[in-house]
Amino acid sequence: MGDPKRHRILMVSDFFYPKFGGVENHIYYLSQCLLKLGHKVVVMTHAYGNRSGVRYMTGGLKVYYVPWKPFLMQNTLPTFYGTLPIIRTILIREQISLVHGHQAFSTLCHEALMHARTMGYKVVFTDHSLYGFADVGSIHMNKVLQFTLADVSQAICVSHTSKENTVLRSGLPPEKVYVIPNAVDTAMFKPTAERPSGNEIVIVVISRLVYRKGADLLVEVIPEVCRMYPNIYFKVRFIVGGDGPKRVRLEEMREKHSLQDRVEMLGAVPHARVRSVLISGHIFLNSSLTEAFCIAILEAASCGLLTVSTRVLPDDMIVLAEPDPTDMVQAIKKAMSILPMIDPQDMHNRKLYDWHDVAKRTEIVYDRALKCANQNLLERLSRYLACGAWAGKLFCLVMIIDFLLWRLLQLWKPAEDIEVVPDIVLSHDEDREISQDFQVFNKDHSLR
Amino acid sequence: MTKIQLANSQYLYKHDDCEGPHPLDTHHIVIQQNSARVFLVFLFALLLFINAIYLCLLNVTANSSSRSSKWLVCKPLTESVVIISSLGVQLEAHYWSGRVVRSFIPIDKILKPVLNENVTPFTCYWSLVLLVRGKKELNLAFEVVKPPVKLLVPIWKALCAATYCGETTDSPAEYNSRVFVKAS
Repeated sequence: MGDPKRHRILMVSDFFYPKFGGVENHIYYLSQCLLKLGHKVVVMTHAYGNRSGVRYMTGGLKVYYVPWKPFLMQNTLPTFYGTLPIIRTILIREQISLVHGHQAFSTLCHEALMHARTMGYKVVFTDHSLYGFADVGSIHMNKVLQFTLADVSQAICVSHTSKENTVLRSGLPPEKVYVIPNAVDTAMFKPTAERPSGNEIVIVVISRLVYRKGADLLVEVIPEVCRMYPNIYFKVRFIVGGDGPKRVRLEEMREKHSLQDRVEMLGAVPHARVRSVLISGHIFLNSSLTEAFCIAILEAASCGLLTVSTRVLPDDMIVLAEPDPTDMVQAIKKAMSILPMIDPQDMHNRKLYDWHDVAKRTEIVYDRALKCANQNLLERLSRYLACGAWAGKLFCLVMIIDFLLWRLLQLWKPAEDIEVVPDIVLSHDEDREISQDFQVFNKDHSLR
Repeated sequence: MTKIQLANSQYLYKHDDCEGPHPLDTHHIVIQQNSARVFLVFLFALLLFINAIYLCLLNVTANSSSRSSKWLVCKPLTESVVIISSLGVQLEAHYWSGRVVRSFIPIDKILKPVLNENVTPFTCYWSLVLLVRGKKELNLAFEVVKPPVKLLVPIWKALCAATYCGETTDSPAEYNSRVFVKAS
């Protein structure tokens, strides 16, 4: 509060722990690093099962689980204006200065950004995925994204491909979009002291077994590699971790080619166990068809595995292939030949992607977002109007109603009536030690 | 007997301190009735009542008869926390109709008083709850009135002082209760 450089950030997304995934991890690690840089971070998400209300995580990260029921793919029902009161309350009581939304799939994120803009806050949006342009779902999604992004202060994408995709989809000026890659918790993903040796090479695949992650490619690649390397000189084994609709196809393939002894199916692997699976292998195989930013590759590289995949790492850490079975088999063959030259520990020590670096770069985006000029309603409406012949007018209508509702709320429950939440100061040693004195530093508790 | 009063636009906090063989420490939260609002609610209730009678006369069953006046009677005017030192804590709710609902919690059953942050789909508020031994649910000190935290803090501190007997119990609840309130 005292330091003008200190930001008070509200992270909004439908995706957060206890559910696990790339976006959830991103929000958590980014928040932790921002907290270490001295900013205040509050996370807002919807309730998961009976987990609703306020929770505190490591380092005093406050999480609001707002009791709105998810209806599809962990998304809350789009209500447009239903979340306005709670978002306004949280923004005021936590004295937020900047709202940061994550993931274009999240309806809660879109709503929060819309309300925050109406209330005059600066907003930043991070896009984590790639989309198509042709099918009905994508066309609808892209329109929603265009609506939200028409008015954001700054946007962040996780890779250059993702930036290109976002700019094309939303018509956002490219100079407003920053590229900040994801990172990997190198402390968690460490290679083992000695390599799994013996005369076998283990190829690890960890991904959800869905179409987008290229599970169909695996069905063709695995038997081909097994045929190419019969168990004569050394053994080649596959470990497949992950679950999904395509798992049946993989199991069918295993039966058909009778590879039960060479292909091990683990089913869903919890994130905490990913490292133990990774270190049992030599080569990591990523078969994704599209990927905005593949954290799995980073985790594998951090564990010292050679990766066969698409271009996100330097050439000596990865072997690239087209998403085509024959090309992938060739790539695996190449990987096998350079495998003896790889030193896992050396690979781990390079630490190319670091969360602290991500946090520092995000901080710069926040600074720039806060420097953006304030705009009044009319200026903002003109931007929405430019979104399309019909959509533009519709967006304007939605924003005008939002503005009126906000004004109504201000009359019904003035901002002065909403109490500001005191900052809870928890140092690390206090986390463990329990003191009996209830220190209440409340300046105005004796007011008349 | 001392009296400390804190107030905001909606609620009034009163504190009575009784000396004696069994000192009583009473904390009241009173809903401040705005006379104009009360008048409007009554007018509305009256209109509803007349409407209900009118409907009855028309031989139409009026099953939702004057809910608003019922609500007015059902809502407590004052909720109090009475701390009887070394005996326990009594929670009281005084209703408009004169009815008083009391519940007593013996002091050795109270694990900890806690200030809790609650989130509803539309708003957030604070509540003062008592963790009771052998009971899964939290015991709400003020069930209907939702006073701001600045009124709850003195009551919470008084409860802490009353229930604190100088020994540490290792329980997860202990950790939760450590609310460090710092308003700068």
